[in-house]
Amino acid sequence: MKPALILIVQLAVWLLLAPLLPGLINRVKAWVAGRRGPPVLQLYFDLARLWRKRVIISELASPGFIAGPAVTWVALLGAALLLPLGPLETGWGFRGDALLMLALLALARFASAWAALETGSAFEGMGVVREVSYAVLSEVSLMAAFLTLSVQSGSLSLQTMLAPAAGPGAALLAGGLFIVLLAENCRVPFDDPDTHLELTMIHEVMVLDHSGPPLAVILHGASLKLLLFALLLVQAVLPLGNWTAGTAAGALAAGVLIVVITVGLVESLLARLSFRRVPLLLTTAVLLCVFALLMAWKGGAA
Amino acid sequence: MTGPFLLLSGTALLGAVIAGGRAPRLWLGLNTFAAIAILAAAGPILGGGAAWAWCAPWTLGGETPRFQLDAISAFFLVLLAVVGGAGALYSRDYWSDREHPESVVRGRIGWSGLLLAMEGLLIAGNGLQFLICWELFALCGFFLIVLENRRLAVRRAGWLYLAASHTGTLALFAFFTLLSARTGGWEIGPMRDDPSLAPLLWLAFLGFGLKAGLFPLHVWLPSAHGNAPSHVSAILSGVAIKMGIYGLVRFTGWLPAPPGAGWVLLALGVGSALFGIAFALAQSDVKRLLAYCSVENIGIICTGLGAALLARNADDAPWGRLVLAGALFHVWNHGAFKALLFFAAGSVLHATGTREISRLGGLWSRLPWTAGAFAIGALAVSGLPPLNGFASEWLVYLGLFDAATTHGPSSSAALPAVMLLALAGALALATFAKAGGLIFLGAPRTQAARRAHEGGAWMRGPMIGLAGLCVIAGLLPGLLWPVLARVVAAWHPGWAGAAGPAPFSALGPRPLMLGLVLAGAAWLLTRTVRAGGSHRALTWDCGYAKPAARMQYTAGSFGALATRWFRWLLRPERTLRRPRGLFPSGARDLERTPETVLERGLDPLAKVLLRGVTIVRRLQHGGLQAYLLYVLAGVGLVAAVVFLGGKS
Repeated sequence: MKPALILIVQLAVWLLLAPLLPGLINRVKAWVAGRRGPPVLQLYFDLARLWRKRVIISELASPGFIAGPAVTWVALLGAALLLPLGPLETGWGFRGDALLMLALLALARFASAWAALETGSAFEGMGVVREVSYAVLSEVSLMAAFLTLSVQSGSLSLQTMLAPAAGPGAALLAGGLFIVLLAENCRVPFDDPDTHLELTMIHEVMVLDHSGPPLAVILHGASLKLLLFALLLVQAVLPLGNWTAGTAAGALAAGVLIVVITVGLVESLLARLSFRRVPLLLTTAVLLCVFALLMAWKGGAA
Repeated sequence: MTGPFLLLSGTALLGAVIAGGRAPRLWLGLNTFAAIAILAAAGPILGGGAAWAWCAPWTLGGETPRFQLDAISAFFLVLLAVVGGAGALYSRDYWSDREHPESVVRGRIGWSGLLLAMEGLLIAGNGLQFLICWELFALCGFFLIVLENRRLAVRRAGWLYLAASHTGTLALFAFFTLLSARTGGWEIGPMRDDPSLAPLLWLAFLGFGLKAGLFPLHVWLPSAHGNAPSHVSAILSGVAIKMGIYGLVRFTGWLPAPPGAGWVLLALGVGSALFGIAFALAQSDVKRLLAYCSVENIGIICTGLGAALLARNADDAPWGRLVLAGALFHVWNHGAFKALLFFAAGSVLHATGTREISRLGGLWSRLPWTAGAFAIGALAVSGLPPLNGFASEWLVYLGLFDAATTHGPSSSAALPAVMLLALAGALALATFAKAGGLIFLGAPRTQAARRAHEGGAWMRGPMIGLAGLCVIAGLLPGLLWPVLARVVAAWHPGWAGAAGPAPFSALGPRPLMLGLVLAGAAWLLTRTVRAGGSHRALTWDCGYAKPAARMQYTAGSFGALATRWFRWLLRPERTLRRPRGLFPSGARDLERTPETVLERGLDPLAKVLLRGVTIVRRLQHGGLQAYLLYVLAGVGLVAAVVFLGGKS
């Protein structure tokens, strides 16, 4: 396929499908709770509504208050475009793109933290502190996961890293990446996307003062991030590269669906952790990824 | 043309030392001219020209002065010229005649002297010359640090710097003396074939590591860089500690390395990166924070250098090229963004009179240029694309990943190094979200912050220039690869013609595209908001009606969560007075993170040592009778030795 066509397909998948995931999770939660729940497409309606709204800007905020969400969104989209979609190869993968992806995720974090601090609110400061502090541990987990994949495949390009199975430590890696997914996407048990009790929140509290189109951009970016982590998890574990295109695409979709349902179930069945426990769970994620790495490393040496 | 340009720059700097007292404009002009002349001398060599060497036809004190300029020296000279020139311009307003009449002359003389000494050090081809320049450079640094010598903290910082610096010089004296004893001359140059020289490198590690500020040899660095005037902090952090790195790069390249050298340097580097940034996050003084962050970046550079040594010693692995190039590139990048950050911090200090993060806030509207410059510096130092910090760290990571995937003996070092560097990188992001966010965003916390206003064009210009360099080097790193490849080849000739495309070509135009898309998206969203209508209101804050500036997060509370994981190392001192009774009169919760290695490690050790020495000191008490007794006893002892010795 031509690169331009690939880009269009990729953009379509990421931009159009990403907002579906939060809706699906809410569906699962409603089903478990025996409620009817909001429509699956609720986020699309919300985005359209927010885009038309006027914006209220804090008196203290600099232009970075609006630029921050834009930078976050572009960085997340850039990270997403680096991720191959199973059989659909990106034409632009290169050696070291995994590292660029991590750096783009960090850029998104920095920009959203910056935009949150613009308001000078104690709540948003609190969210930023939690976000950047816990991200330290999830960043190490992600780096260990990428090292595992890299050692496993002998490559540094996401395309080849994600093609084979994750080897002997696949289950460990899946566990570690799933915890990171929950932490990075403000899901229970780290954070509760539904509450608006400031004291319990991390990511949600950072966007309290945003409204209108910037909030729409933030919400869309969050859904991109969720899809990104789900796809990364599924591709890291499943040997999609060995299967035919159709099977791989089906497996990918099924895998993402399973991840989404699991997130919904976790959210329905677990309570949010106390904040002192959060680093403990994230350290578990680090350890799971490090053990996966050790298994891959020893396995390769034998 | 290299020789004449070097001579010109040296003469100009010498002239600037002389002119510093009387003619500030001439001084500024000469410094700028010297910077340009240095660039003209070093540029062609980095551009592919042959290395330059010159040996004086006369001898001086029995030694022939030798000068050399190869790609490695040229690489560091460029950094010296850029930051030295920018700092001289910045100091015109920052340390002006009007505001600092008593120290401005010392400042100008010291500045040019420092540049001259560093230039001499970088082009020295003789061990004695190197040592002389090293000592001059250290002394000029001392005089610059203590410019504000009325303040006790400044004098203390200066003494600590001097003591640490001389400890390092002692190690270097031993190093050069042993080297000349083994080679039979003071001339220095490539000596890769003599394995008996390898153990000397440990001495060089000590001496240069102290200057570079590697953890745990960094004890002098935070107070010196924190208390010096900001343009001095900029050149100390940006260039002077790089002289330590220059020494390490230079002599690991020229001498054969002992087998464990790479491991030790790598471990020290990773440790510096992690602990340096942990300390930085805990600081509430912006300049101390930046100083500790220099420890982190020196750590990243040494990680790369150590890994390159491993690669060279083990199997000549090609990934060594990548890590070394990354480390070298980081030398430039750190020089640029750290000088930029110190200039910005200096601008804040100039405008508000405080370095305490918790007394600032909301400065973006009062100091927009400074805020922009600091934001760019913060993005760069956090290693975020598309700025220069990312480009160099990307190279280091790339090399380490390669080392890990080859399953060679070095991979057991590369695996933990990558993860710990990732940890340090995420902490750096937290540190600079804190510094940038709390200083420039939100509401001003004090009257001083409310009344601040931007400095003049002389302070803004250097900041804009350095910020521009950070952005350009980040957007187009590929342009710099040939330069890096030449420096790598000068370090290890075996990697000169190493095949394979430049690693940055893989990155291609992506940083540029990313930069454009980021700017475009920010502009588009701003326009959308403006078109759709917006109005300003109080920060909503979940409906709180009267938010106050003091409710905002402070430097201490920002760092508290992540620094708690490093309590075992940081040992913060806390004074807590809880509110008591029904009508509490007051409460306070202060936390200070000491320089733990110094205050908990070296100070007690020094006290024990001093106590031991006081026993000896009792001999020296000024009593004449006792002294006569010493003389008598001494004479008697000598007589006894002579007589008894004569008999046998």
